[in-house]
Amino acid sequence: MTTTLRLRGGRVIDPTNGVDAELRDVHVRDGRIVALAPGEAATEEIDVSGCIVMAGGIDMHTHIGGGKVNLARLLMPELQRAGPNPIALPSNPLELASCGGCTPGTLATGYRYVEMGYTAAFEPAMMACNARHTHMEMGDTPILDHGAYVMLGNDELFLEMLSRGADFQHIRDYVGWTINAAKAMGVKVVNPGGISAFKFNQRKLDVDENHVHWQVTPRQVVHTLAKALCELGVPHPLHIHGSNLGVAGNIQSTLETINALEGLPAHLTHVQFHAYGTEGPKKFSSAALQLAEAVNAHANVSIDVGQIMFGQTVTASGDTMRQHAQAGLASPRKWIGADIECEAGCGVVPFRYRDQNFVNALQWAIGLEIFLLVNDPWRVVLTTDHPNGGPFTSYPHLIRLLMDRSFRAEQLAKLHPDVAANAALNSITRELSLYEIAIMTRAAPARLLGLKDRGHLGVGAAADIAVYREDADREAMFTTPAYVFKDGTLVARAGRITAVPVGGTHFVAPDYDRGIETLLRKHHAAQGGVNFDQLAIGHDELCGCCNGGRLLPAACFETTS
Amino acid sequence: MSALESSSGPAAAPWTCPFCPLLCDSFGVAAEAGGWALTGSECARARSGLSRFSSAAAPVAHPQIDGVDCDPEAAIAAAARLLTASRQPLFGGLGTDVTGARALYTLACRTGAIADPTGGTALFHGLRALQDRGAFTTTLAEVRTRADLIVCVGSLPSERYPEFLRRCGVGEGGTAQVVVLQPAAAPAMDSAIEGLEVVRFDGDLFDAVAMLAACVAKRAVGDAAGALGLLAARLHAARYAVLAYETAQLPAQGALIIEALNRIVSTLNQRSRAAALPLGGGDGASTVNAVFTWLSGLPLRTRAAPTGLEHEPLRFDANRLLADRAVDALLWIASFGTEPAPPITDLPRIVLGHPRFAAAVQGPATVFIPVSTPGIGSAGHLFRTDGSVLMPLRALRDDDGLPTVADVLKRLTQALQGAAA
Repeated sequence: MTTTLRLRGGRVIDPTNGVDAELRDVHVRDGRIVALAPGEAATEEIDVSGCIVMAGGIDMHTHIGGGKVNLARLLMPELQRAGPNPIALPSNPLELASCGGCTPGTLATGYRYVEMGYTAAFEPAMMACNARHTHMEMGDTPILDHGAYVMLGNDELFLEMLSRGADFQHIRDYVGWTINAAKAMGVKVVNPGGISAFKFNQRKLDVDENHVHWQVTPRQVVHTLAKALCELGVPHPLHIHGSNLGVAGNIQSTLETINALEGLPAHLTHVQFHAYGTEGPKKFSSAALQLAEAVNAHANVSIDVGQIMFGQTVTASGDTMRQHAQAGLASPRKWIGADIECEAGCGVVPFRYRDQNFVNALQWAIGLEIFLLVNDPWRVVLTTDHPNGGPFTSYPHLIRLLMDRSFRAEQLAKLHPDVAANAALNSITRELSLYEIAIMTRAAPARLLGLKDRGHLGVGAAADIAVYREDADREAMFTTPAYVFKDGTLVARAGRITAVPVGGTHFVAPDYDRGIETLLRKHHAAQGGVNFDQLAIGHDELCGCCNGGRLLPAACFETTS
Repeated sequence: MSALESSSGPAAAPWTCPFCPLLCDSFGVAAEAGGWALTGSECARARSGLSRFSSAAAPVAHPQIDGVDCDPEAAIAAAARLLTASRQPLFGGLGTDVTGARALYTLACRTGAIADPTGGTALFHGLRALQDRGAFTTTLAEVRTRADLIVCVGSLPSERYPEFLRRCGVGEGGTAQVVVLQPAAAPAMDSAIEGLEVVRFDGDLFDAVAMLAACVAKRAVGDAAGALGLLAARLHAARYAVLAYETAQLPAQGALIIEALNRIVSTLNQRSRAAALPLGGGDGASTVNAVFTWLSGLPLRTRAAPTGLEHEPLRFDANRLLADRAVDALLWIASFGTEPAPPITDLPRIVLGHPRFAAAVQGPATVFIPVSTPGIGSAGHLFRTDGSVLMPLRALRDDDGLPTVADVLKRLTQALQGAAA
């Protein structure tokens, strides 16, 4: 018999449907949100009075799986100890042993996200040549639905096509083919052209600077990819990790990158790392206001923040050029870099953010300023760029910083004195509401990814639900939801995992002209490392990689071309 | 979109050779009388691997308990009894693919086993160097298209990786110079390869790489550098230099050699471009390591001990544990057929292996379960030597009647749970 669950008496916050803290029941049947017919009764009921009911959280930018994440684990075994002792085994028989922290095992990643009320997470930097591995790791991340953005714009073929002025349609078809082959949810460009340029011994690449070999600029790369995705009808627009990450004065690059879009939609990721000025005695200043003004003025642009959190973490990035440049700051002093398959690269640099360090303290303030200065929460997603700014487990703390002005001031006062005294953050009084947090952590990411039945609690939506007990301490509230449901199954209760279903895989399958395969076949025969006929991941293989989880293809939008 | 589906027929897709970590996929395999013929390559390693399989008849192999044929259920039950009785099992060999490794991790958690592959010593040369200082590496396609100088440190890999030079683009229109850095005492190479140069050094490899590192860093070394000084100059002058090394050929404390090579790469990368290319991790070693690492957060040589997840890169060496009798049962996995035979020991042994290993698992307290080989009798995935590419393996045939390692391990885990319930 089909059961119908009623979550009774909670206050529902569902921004997608304009519902703000309304007292109403939520009904679940067969893994979906349903409306009961008049006179129909639920077969089960949970009293959630005194609770806030939201859709499950969606993290649209978190490094949870794939080559560089596993390299970070291999690099940092010392993080997987509790002082002199090993990390204790789980007391919950549903869990298998898995370390946590900033380089968690995939199993712990799933458990910890779900315990926090998140039900989906997206790996932002999947290399096409590493796509199977990435899907495998995500498939071994229990409970969470997942997907990934495939990296383009540093692969030699794309740059060569752009360089010789290849027909745009061919480039578009190549992008379409790559998304299909890698079973990706979107496309990410990392330091456009810069990863490749580093292989040619170029150490810096500004937005209008030529790649030393291919003689194309990041501006061209960004514009071409953004246009290709638009024409392919991929719901998530180009995901951009911009030029000059971490460099003082890089706000210029960020603003130029926005200009390069010429109105095309795009998502700028971990913008905190790209919003630095050169003012002040240390020639390092916040450009959060400039960035926020640009975002406010460009409705085609969305962002996620990449907030930093103080303490030890590991930065894992595809940006070999910048990671090599920053490797001297590694703490502890070791790092991994790689040039990969004429298509991408990676750099893994351990890092400790210190609150008494001027630059780190300012980075912290810049991230919060961005959150609070951008007007439209639908275009801001809450992230720490896990683990690069800090582990995802710090989200509840971050939420409190955004919602509680006095708590924020208290934390700011503890930082490096120049930052504590002078940060623009001091004068920002805005406190985000629960409604705005719900937008930034579930409704907006779902919308930005084109997930129509996720991130909200309307009838027909997937029953991914987080129920938080009201608490004035928002950190405590968001750390341990009372109940978490995944597709209608109770998966966590009061911080304890209660079921471990396999999550599903989101991907898109845009149409493209398959004539492009002739060119690709030729290219791979001449320069590749894998037989062309092995590159594409089929549905059956994807399902195996993902541990038998459901395949969740997202619809592309109609294009006019 | 159906066009991008992998084809379901095992023969239609390219075959990936599972017998070495280069995982070549551009050769043909044809069924011929009694076996498989390799086409498009003379690779001795692939031929030797294939020679252990018949193309026609299914292998006649039954599970055995104490050397006596039995049915699969009895074998699983016997294996479960041996593991249940063990206080500290060792999982060795680890010759399996991703799916096998996934299933093995669950069993390792349930039993508190220590897992260390054949070739664990070589694997940990690389891992310990990585854990201490990091690395900068490259991949085969990069080497093929970018390298203009490839220095093979200690040995020419072609002897053990016959397709190595071809995969690096050497002799295929590539322009890379290949230099082998080897001891003065090493025998001359059998067949001179066109363009291949040999730089010889006196003393041991530790001293040689230390000297090369000093020269590359432009430290004052007086007249001692000799040929190594010249090699350092060539490394500096190269557009993209690659230092290739075979982890299994390194002596004890080989991590120190790898660390020196990584230091050379790091120095070069301050002004020009260079990267390391480790060769090793075959027969499932690097694949199982990758899977355990992503699931748990820690690499192999880790156990789920009562106090927690313990990672001991030196103490949990399988050879040492067996020699010290620090373990009391052995689960050995060798599904490729190319691995060394399971170690001879009087400890209770469970072997999941290629049918050829049956003869090595006789006597009391033994269970042998023949399993299918990834890339021959079943599909699968293995990591290539450079770690970035997870290659799909297609089955050459799908009717060998043997279970996969994962099938057996899942049943074994269930049997243990049943016994515990």
